[in-house]
Amino acid sequence: MVTDFNLETEKRDNCLVMKTFGYINNIGGEKIVDEFNKHKNNGVNNYILNLAESKIVNSIGISYLIEIIEKLNSSNGKLVFTNLDPTIEKTFTIMGLFQFAEKADNVENAVKII
Amino acid sequence: MDYISHDDLVSKMTLQVSSFQEGFKILSSASSILEIAKNFNHILRGSLLITEVNVFFKVSKQDNWEKVLVKNELCLDCLQVLDNLEDYQIRFHNDKPFRISILHPLLDGASFGLLMGDKLDKSNYTEEDKIILQVFLQLLDNAYQAYKNHLKEKALNFSLNHRILQLNTLIDTGIEISKLQNRNTLLEMALERAVSLTNASKGIIRISRNNKVLGVIKLPDTIDPEIVMSSNKKILTEVEYRGYKYEVTLIDKESRSGYINFDATDEMLLHAFARQVHAAVENEQLHKEALENETIKKELSVASSIQKKIIPEKLPEIDGYKLAGINIPSKEVGGDYYDCYKLNDGRYALIMADVAGKGVPASLLVSTLNASLRAYLDMNFPLADLAIKINKIIYNASPPDKFITFFISILNPENGELDIINAGHNPSLILRKNGKIEKIEAGGVAFGMFDMGLPFDGQKLFLDRGERLLLFTDGIPEAMDMDEEEYSDEKLDEFFKDHVPANAEDFISALLSDVRAFTKDTPQSDDITALYLIRN
Repeated sequence: MVTDFNLETEKRDNCLVMKTFGYINNIGGEKIVDEFNKHKNNGVNNYILNLAESKIVNSIGISYLIEIIEKLNSSNGKLVFTNLDPTIEKTFTIMGLFQFAEKADNVENAVKII
Repeated sequence: MDYISHDDLVSKMTLQVSSFQEGFKILSSASSILEIAKNFNHILRGSLLITEVNVFFKVSKQDNWEKVLVKNELCLDCLQVLDNLEDYQIRFHNDKPFRISILHPLLDGASFGLLMGDKLDKSNYTEEDKIILQVFLQLLDNAYQAYKNHLKEKALNFSLNHRILQLNTLIDTGIEISKLQNRNTLLEMALERAVSLTNASKGIIRISRNNKVLGVIKLPDTIDPEIVMSSNKKILTEVEYRGYKYEVTLIDKESRSGYINFDATDEMLLHAFARQVHAAVENEQLHKEALENETIKKELSVASSIQKKIIPEKLPEIDGYKLAGINIPSKEVGGDYYDCYKLNDGRYALIMADVAGKGVPASLLVSTLNASLRAYLDMNFPLADLAIKINKIIYNASPPDKFITFFISILNPENGELDIINAGHNPSLILRKNGKIEKIEAGGVAFGMFDMGLPFDGQKLFLDRGERLLLFTDGIPEAMDMDEEEYSDEKLDEFFKDHVPANAEDFISALLSDVRAFTKDTPQSDDITALYLIRN
């Protein structure tokens, strides 16, 4: 079952954990980037994106994620994806996201990476 | 005038060239307009020793200037200066908060606007400075082209990766949905993949039969199907399988700048997904049928085992009589039953029964009948009372659509007396010595139909020497040929009358041959069961 997109955030140590719900498309991607920009402007440089509740993503959503990755690369920041559905993990691999971002099984392991 | 030596000039020019090369390297590595501006400011200040470079940018002539890098806020009030410049123009000023204004048009219609400050030592720009500035402006142009090419390369990479993703997902989806045995799950998966790979924002699969909508699978699940169907930005396809129609509709193809039209690739992908759905639904149906067949096979095998234990392997030998019987189920197991066994008072029970239905339920009912008969027959109840008891047992043991037609004849071998009850079974036949057939009509309703204590009227008959008795089920007179014509009671009567072999087995095998000669290659539609008794 795919629901309308929603986003929850939680600050942990030196990073922001964003948990997505639903389809990561244009609307979803935009919401993620807006939230990212808000915290980036406040100096947060490390991010965890928990996709446990998102089973599908389209290329527009991916372009927003790449935008975040590029911004973090130029500021030596880090993005870790967690709780990836196998289909999304394969999608990210093919689209090259893991060349510049990391992945972890869950948020706890992602915090250790950061 | 100071003259510079030849060697010094060569060294200075060499230094300048390597500075230009370094400048180009730095400028062309930029991944954004801001980065280009920052690098340009840095290089130019270092080369010309000036206070600052303020950089503005616009995508086309009609647009307003965007602030990219502003070191001197006073410049913001003087942007009109840039608009007053002709195509590619450098103008020097003495009355502005900057010294030089430059309009630098780019190949793609965009422009840089540059407002440059004084030299650090407040001296005038020399001719050499102006040449260096021209060279760096050219480098800025090249850097911008490199940046644009980098963007194109990224977009191309993204697009290629997306194509690979589409192909890969198409293959994966075909494999994955063919493994799913739940139709809704496979349709949900196919819809998810079709929506995401075409960048649609929403989609539905509508399942209908005879124009009646049976169900709708939606993505997201909050969407109103009517909105999808009435959208003018949609692509759709449909699949039909065994009278069911699956209509897949996707709407609102997304881009970063709003909804756009679906293209030919999207339509190809959607049709490919639809074909996969068709194959998966067909597979799922075939799998379901295979499982059902397997279950039926197992059920029939169980029923067959039960039946085999009930149908007698060998009939008893009755002194002064010849007896033979046969049971050929139409499928693996049927609902017919016959038996003959000796009671403890020396008489013999000849039984013929036919259960409505086949399979395990029918054979369990036969089993119940057999057990009840075995238990009660030796108690020497009058047959009419025994029938009432058995009827009650069968009624309680059977589902509403199951009943048993039943015929029993208790033979006293000493005098040929037949004590008979017929519970809804077809009349058995006696061939009298005079060549006439007598039908045993003794009646009552079939066992298991009612439990109202309805009486079963018994009948007593005698079988004289040379007379014959045939018990059978309706599988014989109702055996059909290719034209669905029945063997018939008349034909059976005639055969019974005309065929009087010396032993019972010969009669049974001749009867079977006659029925088969009539039906030819038509598959047997019902069980064939018969019991034949000759009094010597």
